[in-house]
Amino acid sequence: MSVETPVFEELTVEVEPARGPMDWVRKNLFNTWYNAVLTLAIAAALMLALLALARWLVGADFEIIRVNLRLFMIGGFPADQLWRPWASTYLIATMVGVVAGSLAAGARDRASEAGVPLIGTTFGQIVLRFWPIIALVVIILAFTTTITPALLTIGAAAAGLGSYYLGRALPRTVRRWTWLIALILLVGAYLALAGFGGVGWESWGGLQLNLFLTVAGIMFAFPLGLLLAMGRRSSLPVIRTISVGYIEFVRGVPLITLLLAGAFALGFILPRDLRPGLVTRMLIAITLFEAAYIAEVVRGGFQAVPAGQVEAAQAVGLAPLKTMRLIVLPQALRATIPAMVGQFISLFKDTTLVAILGVTELLDATFIVNSQPDFLGKGLFVVTLGFAGLVFWVGSYTMSRESRRLERRLGVGER
Amino acid sequence: MTTQTDYTDATQATGEAIIELEEVDKFFGDFQALKGINMRVGRQEVVVVIGPSGGGKSTLIRCINRLEKHDNGRVVVDGIDLSDDVRNIQEVRRETGMVFQQFNLFPHLTVIDNVTLAPRQVRKLPKKDAEALAMQMLTRVKIPEQARKYPGQLSGGQQQRVAIARALAMQPKVMLFDEPTSALDPEMIKEVLDVMIELARGGMTMIVVTHEMGFARAVANRVVFMAEGEIVEVGTPEHFFTSPQEERTKLFLSQIL
Repeated sequence: MSVETPVFEELTVEVEPARGPMDWVRKNLFNTWYNAVLTLAIAAALMLALLALARWLVGADFEIIRVNLRLFMIGGFPADQLWRPWASTYLIATMVGVVAGSLAAGARDRASEAGVPLIGTTFGQIVLRFWPIIALVVIILAFTTTITPALLTIGAAAAGLGSYYLGRALPRTVRRWTWLIALILLVGAYLALAGFGGVGWESWGGLQLNLFLTVAGIMFAFPLGLLLAMGRRSSLPVIRTISVGYIEFVRGVPLITLLLAGAFALGFILPRDLRPGLVTRMLIAITLFEAAYIAEVVRGGFQAVPAGQVEAAQAVGLAPLKTMRLIVLPQALRATIPAMVGQFISLFKDTTLVAILGVTELLDATFIVNSQPDFLGKGLFVVTLGFAGLVFWVGSYTMSRESRRLERRLGVGER
Repeated sequence: MTTQTDYTDATQATGEAIIELEEVDKFFGDFQALKGINMRVGRQEVVVVIGPSGGGKSTLIRCINRLEKHDNGRVVVDGIDLSDDVRNIQEVRRETGMVFQQFNLFPHLTVIDNVTLAPRQVRKLPKKDAEALAMQMLTRVKIPEQARKYPGQLSGGQQQRVAIARALAMQPKVMLFDEPTSALDPEMIKEVLDVMIELARGGMTMIVVTHEMGFARAVANRVVFMAEGEIVEVGTPEHFFTSPQEERTKLFLSQIL
């Protein structure tokens, strides 16, 4: 493990006066002959890889993405209804803005109450925080053929920013209802897509479907998982047995099995008029699957809360439900943020599995476009898969970054 | 065995019993933690419980607010019989405050929120009144200036004083202390004991599991020595310092004094 040596030395010489970057390079990269050889070899390999990537990027034919961008984003959404996804985007931008602004105002009030100086957020910090998403949006907009999407995107960003300041300016009494405002805007965003002669989720596709399945899956699976986790700790044997049985059964089965069961078995069991559409059945399968995993994550969180916390709550006379809601859950959920976000990230990626049932989500869309007459046999899989990969990476990486950020911020009140 | 009859010492207290334990047994599996405990504590009396670890001291006071369920016998607190009736249990818990060895403050809440939680949620006080009450209690334990901090930002002694304020905020009739200074660094023990001494002099009924014999000498009406789940000897602090009767008591005192 010779590579560890330089790190160690770097730590021990911290007290020395600051040295130039060349000293650092010498100390860390060229301190022994074999380290020098390793450094040079890795540098050469990196250069070659970057060069190959650059040459490929310059030479590659991105026409396939340019032509199919709309399919990737929103699937087969009717072309004359395009105002709907945009309206929905604006409502979601407004929702995110209001919630972020309201949270910021809450943090500001708490800081002033505690007499702690508040560290404000600058525009540059926001850009740094969300650079992967911003970069992705810029890349996607670069593939559009008209200026309209870019203008509309700037408009959506402006709407988000405006509602951020609106959320910050809300009086405290109104801020308590932020969750309700968010819910109304979210329902509005759905109605903008599906309501009043729009297109319901059964006919959605592309990235829009992946995002829908992820968000809806989390929203339904989280409460169910919470109940299962509590059920697993219940003192009533019936509830405990059902919870444990359910969790262990679902965790023993691959998601694809559940999706297939949802597609076929659910179709058999339910009478034709009651049978929900394919995407709905997929959503049910995803929800049932995720709930079991979330239950196990939450159980881990419960175990991280010391027994003394419950005893202290009981000793001051708190009833069991309030003890759970005010003392145990806040601490348990805080302890599970990393695992929970990890679960959400895998859910986001697992939504691609609905493709095996013929639902055209993003990954499937990037596959099938290679069969279009214009692109057939041109070997453009690398281009389209690269695009899908980039989108999924940005989504997952952003979730991961935000989770780490949240962890750090919540760490303030830890024991 | 010459267990002294332990009727309420009426000399300093009011003579009226607020806690009564009759033939209380407690089992953990096969292990009997309490063996037929009889004890009465008078209103405004301060009782210090001493004894070797594993002797049942903590179990005894945890049976008084039902953190442990006694298996046989009766536990009556301020006229309320601790049965399986949930309402009785909740009522007793509202009337008894408890302070733990490990503080058990709620780490995700600020100091003031720790103190106002129960008054708001259980006594249904409006936020303003609860906060005024909490500040009063925090002033009583001498840390009103820490109200907006989180428990993790305080020293052990400060945390334990917050825990005392949290218990006092429910305006209990009885305070139970389970080794309140055992987890503290030596230099912080005094600040906690001082608060407890003031509380005792203010007329609070207290049962304190502790080995701080200085505290016992200062304010205790009675000292109870427990070992192996039984009450071995009961007497004034002076009695324990000058003329302990039982061999087990003498041995124990020789180890801690």
